[in-house]
Amino acid sequence: MNATTNSMQESPEKPAASTSQARSKSAVQIQNLSFSYGSTETLKNITLHLDRNAVTAFIGPSGCGKSTLLRCINRMNDEIIGTRITAGKIIVEDIDIHDPSVDVVKLRRDVGMVFQKSNPFPRSIFENVAFGLRMRGIRNKAVIEQSVEESLRAAALWDEVKDRLNESALGLSGGQQQRLCIARTIAVKPLVVLMDEPCSALDPIATAKVEELIWSLKKDYTFVVVTHNMHQASRVSEKTAFFYMGEMIEFGETTKMFTNPAVKRTEDYISGRFG
Amino acid sequence: MVSPNPQSESSGHRFQRRGFSFERAIRFFFASNAGLTIFILLLIIVFLLREGLGFFPGYRRELEVYRIAGLEFVDISRKNLSAHEQVTSLLNRAYQAEINGKCYNELLRSQEASALYSTFSDQVGPTRDLILNNPAAATGGDEGMLAVLRANYEAQRAKALTNLPASPRLSEAERQELIDSLRNRPAEAADEPPLVAKLNAAFAAARQSHAEPLQKFRETIDNFETAGMDLGSIVMEMTESVTATKEALQTADILEKDRKTLLAAAANAKDPIEREKLIADAKAALAEKPDYEGPMATLMEKKPDCLKLHEQLATSVGEIFPSLPGSLTQAKASRYLNAAKSAWPVLIEDLKATPGKINSWTHTDPVPLSAAFISFLTGKSWVTGGEWQDFYGLIPLAVGSLMIAIVALTIAIPVGIGAAIYVNQFAAPREQALVKPVIEFIQAIPSVVLGFLGIMVFGTILREISTLDSLNWIPGFPIDERLNIFTAGCLLALMSVPTIFSLAEDALNNVPAAYAEASEALGASRLQTAFRVMVPAAFSGILAAVLLGLGRVIGETMVVLLVAGNRIKIPDFSEGLGAFFQPSHTLTGIIAQELGEVPLGSVHYRALFVIGITLFVTVLGINATAHHVLTRSKK
Repeated sequence: MNATTNSMQESPEKPAASTSQARSKSAVQIQNLSFSYGSTETLKNITLHLDRNAVTAFIGPSGCGKSTLLRCINRMNDEIIGTRITAGKIIVEDIDIHDPSVDVVKLRRDVGMVFQKSNPFPRSIFENVAFGLRMRGIRNKAVIEQSVEESLRAAALWDEVKDRLNESALGLSGGQQQRLCIARTIAVKPLVVLMDEPCSALDPIATAKVEELIWSLKKDYTFVVVTHNMHQASRVSEKTAFFYMGEMIEFGETTKMFTNPAVKRTEDYISGRFG
Repeated sequence: MVSPNPQSESSGHRFQRRGFSFERAIRFFFASNAGLTIFILLLIIVFLLREGLGFFPGYRRELEVYRIAGLEFVDISRKNLSAHEQVTSLLNRAYQAEINGKCYNELLRSQEASALYSTFSDQVGPTRDLILNNPAAATGGDEGMLAVLRANYEAQRAKALTNLPASPRLSEAERQELIDSLRNRPAEAADEPPLVAKLNAAFAAARQSHAEPLQKFRETIDNFETAGMDLGSIVMEMTESVTATKEALQTADILEKDRKTLLAAAANAKDPIEREKLIADAKAALAEKPDYEGPMATLMEKKPDCLKLHEQLATSVGEIFPSLPGSLTQAKASRYLNAAKSAWPVLIEDLKATPGKINSWTHTDPVPLSAAFISFLTGKSWVTGGEWQDFYGLIPLAVGSLMIAIVALTIAIPVGIGAAIYVNQFAAPREQALVKPVIEFIQAIPSVVLGFLGIMVFGTILREISTLDSLNWIPGFPIDERLNIFTAGCLLALMSVPTIFSLAEDALNNVPAAYAEASEALGASRLQTAFRVMVPAAFSGILAAVLLGLGRVIGETMVVLLVAGNRIKIPDFSEGLGAFFQPSHTLTGIIAQELGEVPLGSVHYRALFVIGITLFVTVLGINATAHHVLTRSKK
């Protein structure tokens, strides 16, 4: 296991259609990434390899850049005016996602995202889950129905909502809404699921359910979870990256980081001395 | 701690309020402002109702006079007469259209030549008149001045000849010939240039030759026209007699009203002498009740004649029908002919039903108040200040307003909402910063100024475009009237686009950004996000925007008054969509146009107030619906 902070791994640039080739162990490779918002540099020279079918947690105090980095991975920052990548690159499934030939819409189909605040559409539960499929032009009713059921089952929501699929999603509780958003994201079978503080608005019971869900889904997906909650990071993740002031301070096995961090500042943060 | 503050002994506890504080005064001031607006709204409603509701009894009395004076009786026959005239006119139009269509080329060539000639004449005309009508010339005097005039004339002529309109249907040689003949033309010449005369003659000859085969059709039309003459003359006779009765009745009504006013004044007068005088005046004003039974009896004497004439006309109309030509070659002519043909059975039907109507009609039938309501709401004509009978029918005005609104919204909805979606969803920030203020600025243009634009630019250009041969397939083209429903609708569209745009854009803005983010994170494209997520989420807001735009369109006065053409008539729907190119009047326009001219308190005056109430209720309803939709969407 390559618990590295600065190792430079030369990854060959390959065209998009390379599914038949042996895939690298890392689903996402972030190489020397620097990112600016206006004139402030919010990410400084980040290098990070995220393992396939594993859960990686990003932790750090507010404003350390962990959410920004997460949003870089599916280029959600494109929509924000004044932001730009100043150096480095992100490679997802062996292609540089900022390559001009990359269609950002197709990228986001493979790199899904769950937001801090649950944001179901003001439609029925069924339509929320079916949305991504419909956007891909899938019309076949049977396919959609099957996929919706699978996704809701995977998100452990099926038993709770199966009798009211046609009711508005806005009538669900906060925890259910967030699980619905996860179901909606995995319904389109992405490779990577980015989660931006998915449990910050949920009560402990709902949080526990979402965490269980992440753990049970990781065999099929690569998860990246941004969290403020140290316990959550230690519970759900296999690897953890600690950010501070736009720099990545430490990256490694979660168990090691929480018991014996290599850097003093990490220890200070984890033990609650600041942040 | 109960010890009171020694300083505040006189005014109770120091926590207690003392006097009228400044803050309360300010609060009271704002509260009264808010109250005032509500008060004014109530005042408007009360005023509208007070002036308007008197309309129905007044109109009922007018309708009663209409009946007892026998005008209604005459109108039974007149209705058939005008139906007959309408068919005659359709046949004549078919005939003319057939001939003109066949010699269309000659017609246009002659028109072009004449246009060249008249443009030339207009430019040199004044100087030419001076030369010809110079008093000095008659006496052979002032040769010098005449020479100057002639030199001017030559210069103007040279200039005019370089400045002639295009003539696509004249050959180059013909045009040159005409220009040469104008160049060499003595100032005194009065006859037309040879080419103009030649083309006119050619046109006349072509008409003549095309009229030959239509000889039989012409005869049929003439027969048909003659058939209605007897009915026409008897209607004319009856008209004269009933008009006199009506006038007598109206004069009596006015006197009676005066008398009541005098009596009311007398009852209020404090001075006994003045009271006596007023009562005496009132007695003097007592008109004798005009006799309407006598004239009615005379009118009824004509009934048998009238019945007989109707039967005759029905028979002859039926006999003439088979002699109509089966079809005509020109599309326009065929359309008129078919319209006449389809009106034919209706005419016969009406003629046959008339005797029954005439027989069952009696002048003693009472006119209930509901008749005034029904006549107002379903009346197909709005006729005022006429010599015959005033009718206050809502339909022609409502149809005009509605058709203009349809045109306006058909244009404004796609433009306004499209612009809103673009600006909100796709535009770059710089485009947004440019487009939004510009669209909203249109709202600031005074509607009178837009009206200018409508008349001078839009109306004229549209009509010019409509005369293009290649656009002949559009229904209603070429447009006869420069000011019509379509022009007004287009301008109103321009005025309601900002309303619809701003509100729709607000509605899209109010959709939580999280929806767009979620949609994009799920791999939806920009277009999919806009139309599958944002627009549905903002739908009720957009609907409210459309409704408020509609309210604006219905309530707008100035532009329609200037541009709609103001013809009080239900558009002729036999032209199909071409009906949108006819002039029309509107609910708002009629008030603005007529309220300044009507006598205060007259039935006509009150009718305008009832129109006002109708408008008020309509716009209130639309706005209330919009408000309802909007509040529902905010939940």
